[in-house]
Amino acid sequence: MAKLSLMFEKRLVKQVPVGGRPVGIGRSPDNDLPVDNLAVSNYHARVYFDSGRLVVEDLDSLNGTFVNDLRVERATLHDGDSIWVGKHHIKVDASGEASIGPDVERKASAPRINETMVLDTKQRRDMLQQAAAMGERSQFAVGRLKMPTLIVFSGKTDQKEYVVTSKLTVIGKSKMATVRLNGWFKPQLAAQINQKEDGYYLGAGDKVPSVNGKRISAPVRLSHGDIVEICGVRMNFVFRD
Amino acid sequence: MQIASGGVTNVGRVRTNNEDCFQIVAPLGLFVLSDGMGGEAHGEVASALAVETVVKYCSGPEDAEATMIFSDTPAAWTEKTKRLTNAVHLANKSIFDSAQNHQEQRGMGATITAAWIDGPKLSVAHVGDSRAYLLRSGNLQQLTSDHSLVAEQVRRGILTQAEAERSEMQSVLLRALGAHAEIEVDTEEHTLFDRDVLVLCSDGLTRMITEPEIAGTLQAELDPAKAAERLVELANEQGGADNVTVIVIRLGEQPKGWFSWLRRGTRKEAESNGAAGGK
Repeated sequence: MAKLSLMFEKRLVKQVPVGGRPVGIGRSPDNDLPVDNLAVSNYHARVYFDSGRLVVEDLDSLNGTFVNDLRVERATLHDGDSIWVGKHHIKVDASGEASIGPDVERKASAPRINETMVLDTKQRRDMLQQAAAMGERSQFAVGRLKMPTLIVFSGKTDQKEYVVTSKLTVIGKSKMATVRLNGWFKPQLAAQINQKEDGYYLGAGDKVPSVNGKRISAPVRLSHGDIVEICGVRMNFVFRD
Repeated sequence: MQIASGGVTNVGRVRTNNEDCFQIVAPLGLFVLSDGMGGEAHGEVASALAVETVVKYCSGPEDAEATMIFSDTPAAWTEKTKRLTNAVHLANKSIFDSAQNHQEQRGMGATITAAWIDGPKLSVAHVGDSRAYLLRSGNLQQLTSDHSLVAEQVRRGILTQAEAERSEMQSVLLRALGAHAEIEVDTEEHTLFDRDVLVLCSDGLTRMITEPEIAGTLQAELDPAKAAERLVELANEQGGADNVTVIVIRLGEQPKGWFSWLRRGTRKEAESNGAAGGK
């Protein structure tokens, strides 16, 4: 069963399972996860299952609900995501959930389209509205309000801080690398950070980096606060305002 | 930076005509791929027109006066990136105008994915659901976003990726060349590194085989033309429901001598295994 853990900094405040009933998050004490902070609205957000998927929905809160770095109105949650409300965050543990199976049928059946076609503006609007009317409001990202940033703790690099803005970020000795490593015997392309639709993934280059002390075996999606180590350089990955 | 490339287009196993089109202009480092749509033979007309227009405009004399500005291009872009973007706007206009002037061509359109490599700089211009991928140190990264209805639904959280892959609406595009007089073009600039591999492909590849299969094939077959051929074969083995076009571009040191001989040996073996499995 999926679990939500309310955290303040590194401290666990409360943990609740998600079952058939929505889990309420907010300042009011009658929430399942009450968050005692003025930045949090009385009824701030809720988490529930919808067609087999775990979703978070913002309840028109004043300061917003964030999933990882994105402000959302509604978003599908994945194992390991963090929901941020004010200074608190809620860790999502959905590891016990079977992912949505191929047997889950979508209600609306569409005409079979073999030929590629392009929609005009009106058709496109109608189609997206139709999809939205199928019982789901679209996830709406208000904007990427937080900047993914690497802060260097130790090791030789050309800067102390890097904002990861590009879809392809290279860490290495190459003069074309975003994060330039200084020193002998450092590889031109030591590691890479690639922006995908759901976040920033750290992957190997000529060396294998570690995240929070563990060598990665496949690309890893970076979360706020992760410690990245590569070629003797220690960096903190954070989402900054 | 050394560039080796190869491309293949194939009708697939189901269709009778090939509406895909591609062109490699090696001396310029220019690679253009287009997937056409529209009844009769008009998809072919549209994709050919798209590729031809982009190549012609990009290979033309460099003349600041001739650079048409269709939209505000960021000042930080390189000349090549601006030119490539304008070329795609021009291709849109060519297809749109042609369809306006020929009643029977109404409704034709095309995707376009174009890459221009200049030293370590890569410019990519894109409209539609063909794709550009970059393989770097074993990691395959999609550089382009699909302008399809299902991809948009995934971005909005209406569909999951798995649902999108099973959707019957996969062929519905939100953006394509030739549909409107004006179009929004996605343009990106990246820096390339030694040993990077760039792939341009039509949806006939990506609907048939998975990204790990693409990455694995590129790592196993270092000759770009053979890698492109192999990818097309794989798509056809999986059903070949659509036309398949693949361009593979490998940067940096080229494999030669000994090792290419060894690889040729292993490749033959793989092929004979494949044939035996098919019978």
